[in-house]
Amino acid sequence: MNTNPMLPYPGKLVEVRDLADEIKLLRVELVEQGAEAFKSWQPGQFAFVSAYGLGEAPFGIANMPQDGPLLDFAVARLGSVTTGLHELGEGDTVGVRGPLGNCFPLEKFKGKNLVVLGGGIGGAPLRPVIQAVLSQRDEYDSLTILWAARKQSLLVFTDEYDAWRAAPDTRLHLTIDQADPKWDHNVGLITDLLKKVNPSPNNAISVTCGPPIMIYYVTRMLAEMGFRPEDNYVTLEARMHCGLGKCGRCNLGDKFVCVDGPVFNMLEVGNMMETYL
Amino acid sequence: MFEPKIVAFLCSWCSYTGADTAGIARLKSPANLRAIRVPCSGRVSPELIMRTFDQGADGVLVLGCHIGECHYDTGNHRAAKRLPVLQALLSFGGLEPERLRLDWVSASEGERFARITTEFTAMVRELGPVHWRWEGKRRQEESRDLLISSKTIPLPEMDFTLRTESIRAKARELLASGQVGCVIGYETSQRGRTRPVFIYSPEEVGHLVWNADCTHNLSGYLVDKLPANQRERSNENGSHLRIGVVVKPCDSRTINVLLAENQLSREQIHIIGVTCEGMRKEGGNLQERCVSCQERTPVVYDTLVGEPVHPVDQRPFSQSDEIIAELNKATPAERLEFWLSQFDRCIRCYACRQACPLCNCPTCLYERDDSTYVGMGIGLNEKRTYHLGRAYHLAGRCVGCNECERACPMDIPISLLNQRLAVEIEKTFGYRSGLAVVPSPIVTILSGEYKED
Amino acid sequence: MSQPDLNAKSRLISQAELDKWLDGLARTQTLIAPRNVSGVVLYRPVAGSDEIVKGVNRPAMSVKEVFFPPTERLLTIRKTGTEIHINETLPEGQAVVFGVLPCDARGVRLLDALFLDTTPADPYYARRRANTTLIGLACKEMGPTCFCTSVGGAPDDPTGMDMMLYPAEYGYMAEAISDKGHSLLAEAGWPETVLGGTAPDSTGRFPTLEKSQWPGHFNDDYWMKISERCLSCRACAYVCPTCRCFAVRDEMLGPGEFERIRCWDSCAGENYRRVAGGHRPRAEKGERLRNRFYCKFFYFPGQIGLSDTSACTGCGRCIEVCPAGVDITEVLQDLERLA
Repeated sequence: MNTNPMLPYPGKLVEVRDLADEIKLLRVELVEQGAEAFKSWQPGQFAFVSAYGLGEAPFGIANMPQDGPLLDFAVARLGSVTTGLHELGEGDTVGVRGPLGNCFPLEKFKGKNLVVLGGGIGGAPLRPVIQAVLSQRDEYDSLTILWAARKQSLLVFTDEYDAWRAAPDTRLHLTIDQADPKWDHNVGLITDLLKKVNPSPNNAISVTCGPPIMIYYVTRMLAEMGFRPEDNYVTLEARMHCGLGKCGRCNLGDKFVCVDGPVFNMLEVGNMMETYL
Repeated sequence: MFEPKIVAFLCSWCSYTGADTAGIARLKSPANLRAIRVPCSGRVSPELIMRTFDQGADGVLVLGCHIGECHYDTGNHRAAKRLPVLQALLSFGGLEPERLRLDWVSASEGERFARITTEFTAMVRELGPVHWRWEGKRRQEESRDLLISSKTIPLPEMDFTLRTESIRAKARELLASGQVGCVIGYETSQRGRTRPVFIYSPEEVGHLVWNADCTHNLSGYLVDKLPANQRERSNENGSHLRIGVVVKPCDSRTINVLLAENQLSREQIHIIGVTCEGMRKEGGNLQERCVSCQERTPVVYDTLVGEPVHPVDQRPFSQSDEIIAELNKATPAERLEFWLSQFDRCIRCYACRQACPLCNCPTCLYERDDSTYVGMGIGLNEKRTYHLGRAYHLAGRCVGCNECERACPMDIPISLLNQRLAVEIEKTFGYRSGLAVVPSPIVTILSGEYKED
Repeated sequence: MSQPDLNAKSRLISQAELDKWLDGLARTQTLIAPRNVSGVVLYRPVAGSDEIVKGVNRPAMSVKEVFFPPTERLLTIRKTGTEIHINETLPEGQAVVFGVLPCDARGVRLLDALFLDTTPADPYYARRRANTTLIGLACKEMGPTCFCTSVGGAPDDPTGMDMMLYPAEYGYMAEAISDKGHSLLAEAGWPETVLGGTAPDSTGRFPTLEKSQWPGHFNDDYWMKISERCLSCRACAYVCPTCRCFAVRDEMLGPGEFERIRCWDSCAGENYRRVAGGHRPRAEKGERLRNRFYCKFFYFPGQIGLSDTSACTGCGRCIEVCPAGVDITEVLQDLERLA
């Protein structure tokens, strides 16, 4: 293990595929010390991925620890680092620092009715929750997935929807903001969909991830529907530079998204919305 | 033997083809040349040229079409206007002016191309390697102390009571009648220091003061407070937000520049212009910039406070002018040493930029996340690029309010750069910024966009 | 308020003896002390005691730049073909810093809690810290913008120093504070004495809120009002002994050669929290200034496990440099009134 937490581990890109419009899924294989460092990471954690020469940025790990020293990252091309990552191909080297942050309290989710709400690329850090539930289906009660995007081409993990639907006591609801002739599911914001689906707050836990404004309105609506704040989980994002609670940038009140998060429940952060809205 | 690295920016239509012509005719051009093809010499921005020197070029050549022959009509005019200003700035910063050359070569002038490039390379070879870029550590030498000369001028006797009363009365009237939603002026803090204040109701006008410490340029607050689109913001009555602002002559010139650049419209503000005999600096004397101030009465106002005074014809000579004269007499190497020792203690806090009322770019060119024009580091090269670049961006715009230097926590004399360029602009274009609502002569405007007042 | 330990073994030395000792230090190691740099006093390497500025002087920058410099290289990256070589670049060299103000040493203690005591430790800061000795100099009096006594400090507080000097008649009392300081003092070989001398007036000047009172003020209009004059210039953060926000980026050195550097940044900056997609939290000045004060008095102490202190050391530099007249002591007084 590196004694210097700012030193990245080398990772090989073993697979690069298009996930959605301008979004790619990068599968990184860690070796030696890197594999050692990531030996026991948990769903919810994230890592810094370096496009060497351009910089590094934090990404939620989008797969399950059971995959071994293989990490999936969903990367949307928006700035210089993500553009650099998009220009890499299979066999290229990236740097990986982590695992960082806290994880989903899956033990608390067991035996509950889960409502998972993902908006756009926000679905990526939620995928390991869905995969964890599906891999141990009996341990959890019903699973309701609300998956949204601005348009059809921005929906992520489309090739897995059938598997999700096929699982017992699992429902998948899709929605896009803008109507499309090729689309025959719901049209509207995820909050509209949430109203339609109307999941019961009884013995339920919600997990939300997406654009900040979506998280704000969804969690508000969940509260109105009777979900208790401590049962509403979110995984947040902020601009980060160190991921270690040193550089100060990602603070949400007195908490750091990189160290005290990214997974929070609304009891912890419900009244600290100012910094990420 | 030293072989200089020459970067040549060649325009597609003329000089690049001219280079080809030279090649075809087997005319010898130096191998030192690294050619960069651009659509037009007017596209070669000063930031690009500075970047080129920062990266280690010993000489930069910009070759465009002859005047009158530009494929885009006025592209080479742009280059002709801007590059000499850049050259003056770089020379003042310690780069031999001969290292930057602008010339014209047409497509058929192969011989001319060969001759110019050979001449230029020979000249740069003689100048030797450029010492612009600093590598490694630098012992933080003390520079030659800036002159603290005999020329300090005491603050003139001034009476502030009348003007304070007038400002309060006017502010009260404007706020009570709803003509403005806010008046930006000066107040005295609990600590006894004068500072900006924002008054929203007639009852609060008693906070407003006028004294010899009203040095801040309040026009800097206008752009943020007023939306570009007037429809966006209104006060409680639903009418558009208008702001009253107390300005000195220098501040009023800033407003003219902001108006010329469409940063706000005239109807949005009520200018309370105050006549000024100068502001105090530490030690009780007159501030340097006030020593050389020519306007004692605001150049634009809605309300005038104080008795109007005629502008001074000849710009009075101040300590900063002395320092500039000394620097002009020194060699480029000495000037380089001066500036590096000044920038050494710069911490790149950007206080200078934030305090400047005319620095309004949503993302500063020198703070880009992709480090396009300068890296993020707080190193000597980066700091120098930032300061020289910012000075260039203010050429023909800066009014000399000196907020940049006043804000600097390290007391770096950065306004010397702006002053040097103001002199250059006045010499070349006969232009002083902010006296009318006219943009800087080196700012490009698309035809049809500029409206005469 | 601290009182020097009257029974501690200390030394009485004259100015001349001190100068001679400092000259000796400067010959064998890097001696950093307050020096005049074109009219600005800064902690800088000095060649001898004659370059040290004497008298009551608060250097324009705090001593934090010795341990946490404005720019620092973290590692180098070399790309050759498909291979990438990473090389960690830890700082080298030792130094002695003389003339450290108690408020600055207090700042170092807070940065120690962040960079060293909070896992994971920062190896760059740790290296510099281990290789540096701090010799403090007590202030004879408090300046017009000083308020260390209001935030738990004192002009003669030796906490955080390795060795401490107290001005006394005809010279100084020198006292060892840490183990490093003990060895240094022993090496100097000055005669022992019993500590004496008068402590400067150290009554607190400004109120500070109880930690529990801060959350209640978060949504006050006050923050928008107080920030109107703020220019988001960040000078306050850069001169502050405890502000520690930094940015990390890769920069090109040459073809295939890069360095990953970190450098100072501040939450007061307009684009501090802007993300690549364009979303910009804390877009309003008031939100940024509010975060600054909250961090200084409420968040930061909690984050480093020192909730009963404030991260403000009362040095007063921010008051001095603010071009727009924002005054931290005024904010404290206003909050007290609002409470």
